[in-house]
Amino acid sequence: MKEIVTVQVGGFANFVGSHFWNFQDELLGLAEDPCADSVFKKQHLDMDVLYRTGETQQGILTYTPRLVSIDFQGSLGSMSSHGTLYNHEPTIPSDITTWTAGVSTHTAERHKKNLFLQSLYEEQDRTVDKSGPQGEYQDRDIVESLGKGVEFWTDFSKVHYHPQSLYELSGLWMDAREFDNYGIGRDALSHGLQGEEISERLRVFVEECDRVQGFQFMVDDSGGFSAVASELLENIADEYSNTPVLLYALRAPESYVNLGKRKQTILRSLHDAVSFSRLASYCHLVVPVGLPSLSTSRASSFFCIEDERPYHCSAVYAAALHSISLPFRMGSLVPTADLHYVSGAVDVGDVVRILSGQSRSNKVAILDMAMPAPSLTGKESGERLLNNLHPVTPEITEDVEDLQAVETMTIHGVLGPGGHPASASEVKDTIHAAYEHTSTRPKFCHLSAAHSPLPIPLPFPSIFKNVVGQRGELLENPTASPLLKGSLEVHSVPMAVRLRSSSAILPYLENRLGYLRRYGVDRGAPGAELVRSWGFGKDELEDFGEALSKMINELKPHSEVSSDSD
Amino acid sequence: MSLRVLNPNAEVLNKSAALHMNINAAKGLQDVLKTNLGPKGTIKMLVGGAGDIKLTKDGNTLLKEMQIQNPTAIMIARTAVAQDDISGDGTTSTVLFIGELMKQSERYIDEGMHPRVLVDGFEIAKRATLQFLEKFKTPVVMGEEPDKEILKMVARTTLRTKLYEALADQLTDIVVDAVLCIKKAEEGIDLFMVEIMHMRHKFDVDTRLVEGLVLDHGSRHPDMKRRAENCYILTCNVSLEYEKSEINAGFFYSNAEQREAMVSAERRQVDERVQKIIELKNKVCSGNENNFVIINQKGIDPPSLDLLARAGIIALRRAKRRNMERLVLACGGEAVNSVDDITPDCLGWAGLVYEHILGEEKYTFVENVKNPHSCTILIKGPNDHTIAQIKDAVRDGLRSVKNTIEDEAVVLGAGAFEVAARQFLMNEVKKTVQGRAQLGVEAFANALLVVPKTLAENSGLDTQDVIISLTGEHDRGNIVGLNQHTGEPIDPQMEGIFDNYSVKRQIVNSGPVIASQLLLVDEVIRAGRNMRKPS
Repeated sequence: MKEIVTVQVGGFANFVGSHFWNFQDELLGLAEDPCADSVFKKQHLDMDVLYRTGETQQGILTYTPRLVSIDFQGSLGSMSSHGTLYNHEPTIPSDITTWTAGVSTHTAERHKKNLFLQSLYEEQDRTVDKSGPQGEYQDRDIVESLGKGVEFWTDFSKVHYHPQSLYELSGLWMDAREFDNYGIGRDALSHGLQGEEISERLRVFVEECDRVQGFQFMVDDSGGFSAVASELLENIADEYSNTPVLLYALRAPESYVNLGKRKQTILRSLHDAVSFSRLASYCHLVVPVGLPSLSTSRASSFFCIEDERPYHCSAVYAAALHSISLPFRMGSLVPTADLHYVSGAVDVGDVVRILSGQSRSNKVAILDMAMPAPSLTGKESGERLLNNLHPVTPEITEDVEDLQAVETMTIHGVLGPGGHPASASEVKDTIHAAYEHTSTRPKFCHLSAAHSPLPIPLPFPSIFKNVVGQRGELLENPTASPLLKGSLEVHSVPMAVRLRSSSAILPYLENRLGYLRRYGVDRGAPGAELVRSWGFGKDELEDFGEALSKMINELKPHSEVSSDSD
Repeated sequence: MSLRVLNPNAEVLNKSAALHMNINAAKGLQDVLKTNLGPKGTIKMLVGGAGDIKLTKDGNTLLKEMQIQNPTAIMIARTAVAQDDISGDGTTSTVLFIGELMKQSERYIDEGMHPRVLVDGFEIAKRATLQFLEKFKTPVVMGEEPDKEILKMVARTTLRTKLYEALADQLTDIVVDAVLCIKKAEEGIDLFMVEIMHMRHKFDVDTRLVEGLVLDHGSRHPDMKRRAENCYILTCNVSLEYEKSEINAGFFYSNAEQREAMVSAERRQVDERVQKIIELKNKVCSGNENNFVIINQKGIDPPSLDLLARAGIIALRRAKRRNMERLVLACGGEAVNSVDDITPDCLGWAGLVYEHILGEEKYTFVENVKNPHSCTILIKGPNDHTIAQIKDAVRDGLRSVKNTIEDEAVVLGAGAFEVAARQFLMNEVKKTVQGRAQLGVEAFANALLVVPKTLAENSGLDTQDVIISLTGEHDRGNIVGLNQHTGEPIDPQMEGIFDNYSVKRQIVNSGPVIASQLLLVDEVIRAGRNMRKPS
């Protein structure tokens, strides 16, 4: 057993996480459902990698994500921070046993459960007494209600969480506008015991693991939460040294909205530089994810997305994260002969080693995705698939030729000739053949493939254009319906994702180094005072700068480096 | 005005409006927290949007739970939170005092007095009050064996304002014993050496002090004993799991055999470490019935657990970092970072180690230790909000005992100090002040009375009557406080009602500072949102 512990920090990260766990929950459900498509029967995925088995005080067995999620107080909407499984007194007690004098009760307005959550709870009650009436709500109403409004990430979550999983930062209420920089996040943790409490929650989950393969961090790094995450990471680096940390730095499109004021620009640029420097220094691989405008990007050619809705964007990114995590779960269960279903098992440490530890050390990777991935039919189908991979990492150069590039790719659920799911070995052969023919071949490519596609759960936004078919295939003659398709029309989607270590990331790094120098370090820098108030001295900033330029030099073509030293 | 030019949306409140905004905010905050104060105050039950419950009587917790938007209120709240950080108590009193200072000032300012004059008076009064506190405090001689009775009285006074009497009294003994357990001569008191553990199980009165340690995890092997007597304890921070070596080592296995070789070499290293521990166990346990327990901060993987279980050793992995220190203080021995040169001297001792299981939660009790310098307060309660409330109260109780030991002094409670200081200011200090600053001293003196007044109000007594009878007694030279049940004056010394000296000093110190700042505000400028919008 090689477990992964997942940590989600901050608003958008929890939106992505919520979709991510919905996918897992759907996979678990489909594996048991007798009516489900047969590709989901034999998934050959070890879900224990992400999930833990537990037991309530009443002796009921539970199966919950091995997760610590951190967010503002009040960000859980109608969900209790204790989750629903462990039966924590749902009603207000009639008497208080610890105080004999007066009591005054202050009740906040109850968050109303939306149609989706109502139906979830009804379903739960129905399974208890099987005689109950059929659900009053049609699935279509539910999808529509979610389409109209999602306020909290819990509004569309169908997963049961462990009572130790959801941590609210007390005293920090939802106001992301004022929690928009590294300094504020650092302040928020400096009082009291909250930092220690979070580490304790994490420890409880790690203690259960026989052998942790790694930590998977999803961090909304657009504001104060990156400070919260880096405090935690610092602790992890200390306590669980040698355990690899894979970090997704996630951004919602709304975090890029330009306020136009110079002061604001300086603040944000410095935040980006400091936040990246700190996070990168404590983890082994950073994957920045989140385009300023996902809706107009090539990655969403088959979607119609509203950038200002985190419910939409997070769904796409979560799908990619899900695909990346598949090879981590192929390990222990599969005998090598079963290459038909899955192949290319790696663990988090392997991915880190492949991407960051080959010919040059680069710990920042680019994420490309194709959703849905095209079918492997006809000539040059492999090339077509590769061409369909589009980046969702911001601030990178396109079409750069980098002979030193290395990558890991996961392709799952793609359809082969005749509309049958392609076997893992077919996928491998096709892609290897395709790479033989391309001119810009990476130096090394690790390919993992799986049989089962991404299942689309009911609470998934209706964002598919009508060329996408029920199994995620691209229809040649789509109906002319102007409506977008959602989970009721599209049941599963074939996916391809790629993590790429390439010099294409240079602009991302150079921007951050530039911000740091221009606004923080240079003589008379306009933000010098600001970063000092965040608790960073000049020395520390210079260290950040040095680390960044080292990363940059590592990626610069060698000729330039040598001419520098001459 | 230049700001108008720079930002046409900025809103500027003039002097008088700004002042009144500050005063109203201070009064508003005071009103919210007022009902908390004292053993007759009301407890607040906060029910969140998802039905989560929080019970609190603590000003600090309440301030955090309120989504305070008003900038003045935020300033006051920060002072109060700082009060809690520094002294562990007195948040409510601080907010009440600041509010009352503002309220008293309002009267004079409305009559046309300049805030500057009041502020001067505050400064004089503050200095005088601090001097008075030095004379008024009751010194406590600590020495080698602190006076347990006085510690108990202070702790009881605090705890009775947070929990019902019987439970408060039970916890009083627990917190005093806990602090005395960890107190070492010539060293500061580190309250972290008291572990606070909770179990959702049974009732609040089952809360107890464990002389030793309770860990929130158990062994991870089915064959290890669940209960063992006479145990050697090895506290260590040594990885007993196979890990791939350095992550960034950058090598790739060229073939399967090479990979196998690497893996088995790594495995061998781990096994050797386990073997060293087993050797030590055999050395100390041969020929006797004693047991051997490892508590490791790092991981222990299943093969290592197997080896240890077969050798009859109980092993716990991933212990809290702080528990490394606590274990050594409780059981003796030392925490080792390497097994290379472990000797029997590294081992600690516990008379009893056993596991307690509640659903999926496991607890390991390490008890019957010799001469412990670390201990655990085990809080029990039927539900999470009760546990959380008791936990808060325990923390406050521990702080009050620690403060007393460090202050080497206590202050008579039940409002006695406030009344005495007020009389001192009015009768002695005011005369010595020239001119209108006298009125500042007077405002300060009257503001002190907010504590006994609120205590009386929360007990349903007539505040006027109470204040008159208390000040009367003080003028006759009797130091008295308020009896919450009858409204009669009582002698706090006789009743054993004592407050922390450092808490009182901090309130007197910080209250006037923030009040003065708020009074001297000329203009309030806020760009962006409209601040007079009803919140």
